[in-house]
Amino acid sequence: MKLHEYQGKEILRQFGVNVQDGKVARTPDEVRAIAREYGQPVVVKAQVHVGGRGKAGGVKFSPTEDKAFENGEKILGMDIKGLTVNKVLVTKAVDIDAGVEYYVGMIVDRNVQSYTLMASAEGGMEIEEVAAATPEKIIKHRVDPVTGLRPYEAREVAIKAGFKGNLNKIADMMVKMSEAALKRDAVLVEINPLFVGPDGIPLALDTKFEIDDNAMYRHADLADWRELEAEHPLEIEASKYGFAYVKLDDGNVGVLGNGAGIVMTSLDVVNRAGAKPANFLDIGGGAKAEIVYNAVKLVSKDTDVKAIFINIFGGITRADEVAKGVIQALNDGILTKPVRMRIAGTAEDEAKALLAEVGSPLIQMYPTMFEAADEAAKDANAAEGK
Amino acid sequence: MGILVDNNSRVIVQGMTGREGASHSRAMKEFGTQVVAGVTPGKGGTDFEGWPVYNSVAEAKAAHDANVSIIFVPPAGAADAVLEAAHAGMPLIVLITEGVPTVDMMKAVQEVKTLDALNRAEGGQGIRLIGGNCPGLVTNGQAKVGIMPNKIYTNPGRIGLISRSGTLTYEAAKLLNDAGMGTSTTVGIGGDPVIGTTFADVLPLFEADPDTDAIVVIGEIGGADEEAAAEYIAQHMKKPVVAFISGRSAPKGKRMGHAGAIIMGDVGTPESKLAAFAAANVPVADTMPEIIDMVKAALNK
Repeated sequence: MKLHEYQGKEILRQFGVNVQDGKVARTPDEVRAIAREYGQPVVVKAQVHVGGRGKAGGVKFSPTEDKAFENGEKILGMDIKGLTVNKVLVTKAVDIDAGVEYYVGMIVDRNVQSYTLMASAEGGMEIEEVAAATPEKIIKHRVDPVTGLRPYEAREVAIKAGFKGNLNKIADMMVKMSEAALKRDAVLVEINPLFVGPDGIPLALDTKFEIDDNAMYRHADLADWRELEAEHPLEIEASKYGFAYVKLDDGNVGVLGNGAGIVMTSLDVVNRAGAKPANFLDIGGGAKAEIVYNAVKLVSKDTDVKAIFINIFGGITRADEVAKGVIQALNDGILTKPVRMRIAGTAEDEAKALLAEVGSPLIQMYPTMFEAADEAAKDANAAEGK
Repeated sequence: MGILVDNNSRVIVQGMTGREGASHSRAMKEFGTQVVAGVTPGKGGTDFEGWPVYNSVAEAKAAHDANVSIIFVPPAGAADAVLEAAHAGMPLIVLITEGVPTVDMMKAVQEVKTLDALNRAEGGQGIRLIGGNCPGLVTNGQAKVGIMPNKIYTNPGRIGLISRSGTLTYEAAKLLNDAGMGTSTTVGIGGDPVIGTTFADVLPLFEADPDTDAIVVIGEIGGADEEAAAEYIAQHMKKPVVAFISGRSAPKGKRMGHAGAIIMGDVGTPESKLAAFAAANVPVADTMPEIIDMVKAALNK
């Protein structure tokens, strides 16, 4: 689960990180009230789950109360990469030129089978940009998942990265970030910029925080932070069925299969066939007719989808169960788009017999995934006049 | 022969009396695996479909001289089940469970590695964890410690298979089977970000196995295990290796079903994996059936 900046900051505060003061506003009037309370220049920052807020005009320096109100009006309701801004964070502005901006972050790193701590004196930029332009400026260090980051390690990394200021305090902030990551099951945490003022004291100005979905069961206190309105409606519906579903942009072929690997490959096959996958949908193993029915129902609701490609490898899954689910969707009037499927495994003949009985051109079975994907691609492209 | 599991594997099932544990215990027995006992805390001393059930791994291991444990324990207790098996000195631990918190896996994997090193230093054969979120492993014609469908393993052969994905493992095993080549051992290493055994850990075992002539590596987007494998192959492997990478059309920043299948920034891209395999002279199949042609070509050289 991705957290908003203000939520990430709240967690860091819980672990004792020195975080820049700020409050959340939902209306321009609230923005003005917060600016008045602070009695100093503020920054109004859009709270949306996408990167590049600043470039999109979602972060505005506001020297006065009136300007803060005006910027609140501009940013609230604004659309950033398809997401509407419903909340802004109003923070006290900092004179960046009076100090320096650093980067510190931790990420799950399968190469070291733990977290890797990253630190760079090039703060304020996306770390990917630093990695691309000047990778030598990023210092990396494996964090022991049992002990967490120790202060001496943090100091070593800070020194190597060329950090100036109160080294003990900076290292302490890194240690607290590591505690937050381990206790709150972070997949990713960044403090960027980590601002060090003329007094040498570190201050977290912005953060990214993402929590491991598999660990959400032990963070029941954060469950309210999940924002259904920020997710795609089809993704919300899919989660009700327990499907792994990802909506993909610019697609025209709905894709579903049993298993993450086979669905990933199905996306590739649709691409090779000259069409674009509209979604990733893993229905899991041992899929019964009802599950297939729900999956077809879900994918059919997507107006981008012009044809559906079903790719099942039946170890446990029976082909006739899959066919029954699809036929049921047809009979209920849910299925109006062509379904091209490949089902390898048990009870293929029974599935064929069932489909022959129905005799609908909308549902066809093919011996290989390539033929099924080719047909689905042709159907989808033809429906779009391509 | 084959690697890791064979006729001599004596398998206990942690979580045998649960739904998944029960059905796969039956399927493994059907395959011919020596399943010797189950472990379900609180049900020790009972019998489950003819298998004795124990409260702990240590008891089951001692009573049956077991050398492999397969785990079907739900996510919240899975890492603990791994540690119990590792501390009982189980040489091979296979974690099937999907959805284990990553921090739990980081801690468990680190501890298993420490125990492994200690065990080896004392002259033991070591302790190895496979998975989690994996389909397990099969040595064709001998033993299955996993959840693969039995019927795709009818023709034992001489191709080793390593994969991050369950279903693509089945797909590849079936293609090899149908092409008359068959597999020696199949190892599903798992789709999670932090796993016990990587491609580069399994490759040397296949290199040393007299019953394996070539190896198929099925990777996917996310992480850099494929890059590490390519480096190992370039430096150490004499046997031919053929690769496949799944998710080549997946967008950045979206998790594709597997917790580990995500391109984060510049890490985990298909381009990086393709380049690494190209640099190691490992052919990469564009489609699954091409794997067969490439394996044939590699063996005929």
